[in-house]
Amino acid sequence: MGIYRYTIRRLLQAIPVLLGIITITFLLSDAIPGDPVQIMLGPSPSQAQIEAIRAKYGLNQPLYVRYGNYVWGLLHGDLGESLYYQVPVLLKIKQRLPATLLLLISSFAFAIVTAIPLGVISAKRRNKPTDHISRVIALVGVSTPSFWIGLMMILIFVYHLGWFESTGLVIPWEGPGPLIAPGNQAAALGAWTDHLVESARHLLLPTLSLGTLQMAAITRIERSSMLEVLSEDYVQLARAYGVSERTILRKHAFRNAQLPVITLIGLQITAAIGGAVLTETVFAINGMGTLIVNSIYRQDFPTIMGTTFFYGLVFVIGVIVTDISYAYVDPRVTYGEAE
Amino acid sequence: MSEPLLEVEDLRTQFFTEDGVVRAVDGISFTVNEGEIVGLVGESGAGKSVAASSIMRLVEQPGEIVGGEIRFKGETIFGLEDVERDGDGPPEKVPRDDMLSNAEVRERIRGREIAIIFQDPMESLNPVFTVGGQLREFIEINRDLPENEARDLAVHMLREVGIPEAEERYDDYPHQFSGGMRQRVLIAMALACEPSLIIADEPTTALDVTVEGQILDLVDDLQGKYDTSFIWVTHDMGVVAEICDRVNVMYLGEIVEQADVDSLFHDTQHPYTKALLNSIPRPDQSVGELNPIAGVMPEAINPPSGCRFHTRCPEAREVCTRTHPGCREVGDGDGPHRAACLKHEGVFNAGYVESESIENKTTGGFDVGLTEEGEADD
Ligand SMILES: Nc1ncnc2c1ncn2[C@@H]1O[C@H](COP(=O)(O)OP(=O)(O)OP(=O)(O)O)[C@@H](O)[C@H]1O
Ligand code: SF4
Ligand SMILES: [Mg+2]
Repeated sequence: MGIYRYTIRRLLQAIPVLLGIITITFLLSDAIPGDPVQIMLGPSPSQAQIEAIRAKYGLNQPLYVRYGNYVWGLLHGDLGESLYYQVPVLLKIKQRLPATLLLLISSFAFAIVTAIPLGVISAKRRNKPTDHISRVIALVGVSTPSFWIGLMMILIFVYHLGWFESTGLVIPWEGPGPLIAPGNQAAALGAWTDHLVESARHLLLPTLSLGTLQMAAITRIERSSMLEVLSEDYVQLARAYGVSERTILRKHAFRNAQLPVITLIGLQITAAIGGAVLTETVFAINGMGTLIVNSIYRQDFPTIMGTTFFYGLVFVIGVIVTDISYAYVDPRVTYGEAE
Repeated sequence: MSEPLLEVEDLRTQFFTEDGVVRAVDGISFTVNEGEIVGLVGESGAGKSVAASSIMRLVEQPGEIVGGEIRFKGETIFGLEDVERDGDGPPEKVPRDDMLSNAEVRERIRGREIAIIFQDPMESLNPVFTVGGQLREFIEINRDLPENEARDLAVHMLREVGIPEAEERYDDYPHQFSGGMRQRVLIAMALACEPSLIIADEPTTALDVTVEGQILDLVDDLQGKYDTSFIWVTHDMGVVAEICDRVNVMYLGEIVEQADVDSLFHDTQHPYTKALLNSIPRPDQSVGELNPIAGVMPEAINPPSGCRFHTRCPEAREVCTRTHPGCREVGDGDGPHRAACLKHEGVFNAGYVESESIENKTTGGFDVGLTEEGEADD
């Protein structure tokens, strides 16, 4: 089976998963006690008002009709209307998703870019000082809660040193006007540069705060996985045929060692989505995390369901990307005969 | 006799583990001449694989070659010399000037001069690279060929070791090959580099008997064709009889008997070798009549005093627990025949004849030996 067919199969397999997520969130929000209408209308609404609102949001219909309507709406890109904001949920998500995605992607990028070299060096210099340092960093990283790291960094780098920003994010691609400005190119470039610097100043601390745990976890698995592969017979065989230690590390051992790492990164996506909610709270970022938390307080069911669905989507895509990378690295998977 | 290709002298390799020092190879000496197949035989844990990797200087932490000398075609793969330390204490052992550096061993010896075939074909190929690619890489490194020529040679070698449709199989991954096929690929790797010596570390142990037979035939053919010397590591005396010219029998890190294959089989001088020969299953035996060697081999971390085999030896006497026999010439005729056993009183003069016999409870298949001993006791 080729990698393309494999990809398509994995995408098709995601459909029932998403349907499951939709169904469960729908049923859960129905089962949760509390009446959103009451919350919308204040302490003592008239019966007529209640009826009108119920009719408007379709709450007076039986469960299966509402479920059917919801799924039908979803298929057309309609996630319903927020009870609190009184705007389509999709619009709200479109506003909030970029910040969260930016945070997730940048913290994973940070984690992977630092952890893999760290783990490899650690394995290569096993039980030497470099290894000990990297292992201590990793141990501290996995055992420190990310919100605490966030708070400490705010204390040091924002309040004491004033180097970075601690509130909100500046989305890098939502820049100040066009990048190509005939006639006034210098000004446009300058504005963009300032914008990107500002964006980095806002992004750095939340990235470190959320990414440290990932970085530490990946470093540890990278190290142990490299150590394991370096003692495999096929690595020993490469040595026996005069392959240099450098080539062994980069070619013969590296690719195999990434298999457990990829699996772990896939699992870390869930953890990071949860961690992002906390990070957004600590750094006052208007992302999906704050949206979902606030919607829960306000019993804004359409928004809760919509955001949950989107989290599910991010997760499922993450898992598919993981699986495809795995299949790409390991030929045994592509051919569907995993040992 | 032809020139020695490889000379190993008093080689010692130890592992420094948390539990203590494992003396995996403890002073072995042997030679390999050009065009010869030399056997290295012994039970699991005897130190055969460690000896093999020592020869290529491939011993990994916590292991280390701590003494002895390895010479190959006049070059020193390993050799130490004493240097006086400042102040008191014994002299320090440091590598000799003529010992090859790590880079030299890698570039000049490994693959080019000495190639190895590992014990387990299932684990010896890298699962994420194609079979042909791996073979080609080793050829490129050790034959200085450009990529396309290395590729042609790789396909040729795959054909040579009997891989059908070699051209198409070139791009397959190891998991698409059976165990026997993978072993053929490993043999192709070794031969393709045209080394003078191939160390085959139990290359057929993981395979079933029919495939084993095919592989042995293949090696026999190719050995004649390429005139390569072999060190054949095995615990199977049947295989030794089939292909080896000379044999070294190892027990707990030591060579206990050394002879050409005929005298080893027909004029056996060491009780351990005798036991190994008795343990070969014969077609006329049922499973119940098999003669496995009694007892288990002790740990190399704390070897028995005296003769290391005395805890299991059916001919052991009291003196064997105290006196350690080296490997000495005991033969009475043509060709060298060495053995490390005190019963050769004329050679060792340790007082074996007067010494009292000791009981080894786990006698297993040593009935014959016991009776002989009883007679000698009278
Ligand atoms: N990496 C290691 N660390 C500690 N001890 C080791 C190591 N490798 C080998 N040894 C020890 O060295 C001794 C010899 O092992 P070796 O692998 O050479 O045996 P062998 O004769 O090849 O046996 P087999 O037939 O099972 O392959 C054993 O006691 C083993 O426990
Ligand atoms: S020296 Fe003694 S114990 Fe050792 S093999 Fe000979 S008879 Fe047996
Ligand atoms: Mg072995």
